[in-house]
Amino acid sequence: MTDYLELTQDIVRRTAARGVEAEAIVMDRQETMIRVDRSQVEQLLRSGSKGLGVRVIDGGRVGYAYTSDLTSGSIEETWQAALALARVATPDEHRALPDPQSIPDKDLEIWDSDLSGISTEEKITFAKQVEEATLAYDPRVVMTNRCTYEDESVHVYLANSRGFAGSYGRTVVVSYVRGIGRDEGGQTMAVGLGVSNFYRDLDAQTIGQEAGQRAVQILGGQPVKTQTGSVVFDAMVTGEILSYLSMALTAEAMQRGRSFLIGKMGQQVGSDKVSLLDNGRLKRGLVSAPFDGEGVPTSATRLIDEGVLQSVIYDTYTARKDGVASTGNTQRTSHRNLPQLGPSNFYLQAGTFSPDEIIASVDRGLYVTRIMQTGGTDPITGDCSMGASGLWIENGQLVRPVSGVTVATRLSNLLQNIVAVGDDLRVVPFRGSIGAPTIRVEGVTIGGTR
Amino acid sequence: MIPKETATKVFSAALRTGGDLAEIYVEDRASLSLRLEESKLEQAVRGADRGAGVRVLFGNLAAYAYTDDLSKESLLEAAHAAAAAAGGSSKTQVIGLTRRQSPLKFPVLKPFDSLSVADKAQTLHRIDETARGYDPHVSQVMAGYNELRRRVWIFNSEGLYVQDDRNMVEVRAMVLAQKDGIIQRASQGFGGQTGMELFDAHDPVAMSRELVEVAVKMLDARPAPAGEMTVVINNGWGGVLFHEACGHAMEADYVSKGSSAYTGMVGQRVASPLITAVDDGTIPGRRGSLRFDDDGTPSSRTVLIEEGILEEYMWDLVEARRMNRESTGNGRRQSFRHMPIPRMTNTYIAAGPHDPEEIIRSVKKGLYVKRLGGGQADIAKGDFVFTVTEGYLIEDGKLTAPVRGASLMGNGPKALSEIDMVGTDFALDPGQGRCGKGQWARVSLGQPTVRIPRLVVGGTEDISGPIGM
Repeated sequence: MTDYLELTQDIVRRTAARGVEAEAIVMDRQETMIRVDRSQVEQLLRSGSKGLGVRVIDGGRVGYAYTSDLTSGSIEETWQAALALARVATPDEHRALPDPQSIPDKDLEIWDSDLSGISTEEKITFAKQVEEATLAYDPRVVMTNRCTYEDESVHVYLANSRGFAGSYGRTVVVSYVRGIGRDEGGQTMAVGLGVSNFYRDLDAQTIGQEAGQRAVQILGGQPVKTQTGSVVFDAMVTGEILSYLSMALTAEAMQRGRSFLIGKMGQQVGSDKVSLLDNGRLKRGLVSAPFDGEGVPTSATRLIDEGVLQSVIYDTYTARKDGVASTGNTQRTSHRNLPQLGPSNFYLQAGTFSPDEIIASVDRGLYVTRIMQTGGTDPITGDCSMGASGLWIENGQLVRPVSGVTVATRLSNLLQNIVAVGDDLRVVPFRGSIGAPTIRVEGVTIGGTR
Repeated sequence: MIPKETATKVFSAALRTGGDLAEIYVEDRASLSLRLEESKLEQAVRGADRGAGVRVLFGNLAAYAYTDDLSKESLLEAAHAAAAAAGGSSKTQVIGLTRRQSPLKFPVLKPFDSLSVADKAQTLHRIDETARGYDPHVSQVMAGYNELRRRVWIFNSEGLYVQDDRNMVEVRAMVLAQKDGIIQRASQGFGGQTGMELFDAHDPVAMSRELVEVAVKMLDARPAPAGEMTVVINNGWGGVLFHEACGHAMEADYVSKGSSAYTGMVGQRVASPLITAVDDGTIPGRRGSLRFDDDGTPSSRTVLIEEGILEEYMWDLVEARRMNRESTGNGRRQSFRHMPIPRMTNTYIAAGPHDPEEIIRSVKKGLYVKRLGGGQADIAKGDFVFTVTEGYLIEDGKLTAPVRGASLMGNGPKALSEIDMVGTDFALDPGQGRCGKGQWARVSLGQPTVRIPRLVVGGTEDISGPIGM
């Protein structure tokens, strides 16, 4: 078997001999995907693939090329292509590779050594159990959609011409299902989801029940009248909103005017209930890694502390521009992608109230368990508008299902108007890994009937 | 690409456990992508990606394995991996391969390499310079160029052998404008299955100016209203609403399982008599066009709805076999790493009888949606949500103030039944559509101007006053 770390070092040496900076990455991936429907396996995929990406920096000009063909001729073509492409790029003095730093030797617990020993049959059984649990939740759950089990084992090998060389492996296991609820009033659909680095952490019952419960509780939902008031977002919905918000908290978004938080550093941008963190070294963090996509040690960054904007996340380029150190936030999702600055394990720090206590605190408002949006929450303009379903709250009680409404605010108002944060932090794999609890927000416009 | 004898051996291996059909999908991809921001060409990426997937169908089960190595050994290994999904014994005869040709011509007049990488980069620089020179409020310009050549070979154990070349080019731009702490954005793209003649039909400079005009105009937009109102949606890209809110629910996988709101509705009225909707994968040059789909089925034109009556769904091979019928050629996959699933190609609502200006004049109080952003729909319930990226109030039949921060929420089947005016101004979109359904697919869409009497507009401006439920 080829030693891929040695291969990347060799490619870097040969490329750098042309008088440029060079970086090479090999990603070697094994994946399994199982989809079941009506207790039958519908799709089964088991495969592996690998690929090489070469980044060249020639006098501040970046070129990149990749290939899935790791034969020597193709490798040579790839780094030659990267060299040639760098010549058409515009020079930028801040483009450079990072110097090697020592990588803390701590077990991040991101590799499930049991996973390779788990048979496909066992994984199929797991997916079937998820479907059973979804349907068993309530007779009104009539079917499932995309009942899926997936796992992935990735080995990353990275080297650069400044002398960095490192590798690590990471496993991720995810299972999700959509429950379809039906009664005389119509159909609903809702998702149940479990995700971890470790197979044994996933529980088929919990995933299925969640989908069933979410689908059934919004059956028969009707719009409410248009009004402005209190909204409680459950943890999964909060996670979805935060995944958009996270894009406004990168140095790139700030430096390029692509954030509604531009010019707000050091200011109170949220209520004192809001503390947002990014931690690439979180133990059992879904996307944790010893070093980032360009070989910089990962770290923990406090972005918003009790409402005060304190920092953003950096890669080497944006850090050099601001004269600070990279926070180790370069992401590499595939050898086909250039290194990209982005959140790692990004989360809103949990509060002390249970979700039930938060709901009980609301006189009248909307408990949102499902949102629909594509670009309605905009980290650039700060607009925030989405379709919502959930339950109406009256005197602290959930009284009736609601659907077909919109909820809208400005992201800046949303942060300022978070008046309660739950203790139920959960992780969702949206745009990396987002951790979120239930939140209560005031002053949200609910759009519905006249 | 792979010898016929190898294909036959792979089929035998794939079918040894009782499969009904075995297939080899070989793909060779070459891409170039360029990105500009901060007036700098920052990213220039070339990619080479090659591999094959072996699929075996056992009744309703599809097993798949892929490899990025096209050697006979690797293909056989993939065949064994896919075959391992079942435990029966061989029962299916392998039929000799016959090459099929498509009558469709998708000519490329000017090959990708007829322009240098520097020339392509120059287009992005021109978009940037145009925008920055056009208005002082422009604060950022992002522009991108992508080209992708996909060569695919599809073989199956029923004797199918097709080859297809797919050339995709696209240009995208986003302009940000900033004033008094407010940021607005506008984005658009154009592209298609063509060569460099794309630039003869589209003017990047004109697109750049238009984006600046929109972003700057939106700086003075007021918050959108909230609540139910009449909505008029512009032609062209506005067809994304039908695509998301109704089109997906007409894809055979959702239909055959009964999860779609349109299950069992063929022959029934599902839309206003003004609505005729079509999925057509055969239009030359469009992003969703295919000579053969990714099952190897010839692409076709499918009338989904004719004058309000549901006529047909969109089928791939697996769903068609399940229902004992023909595929409509809608099986698509993102790459050899994916199994094909039913997808739309170029999907549109056909022209109607109404003068588009008359449609706007007919609205006393409502919202005119000039540009829609992305959208999402719930297949089971049919609810949809879209982001309005350029919208204006309609007051007494006239477009008045621009509004920001609006989404549109409605129910697809309901909105389709209620559409009461359909314009004469049919247009396809400029070629910017990308659809996600677990896998990405390039699509095209279109429609004339349409009027929907009642949708929920999700702005922040509560026009109803503070009353309860």
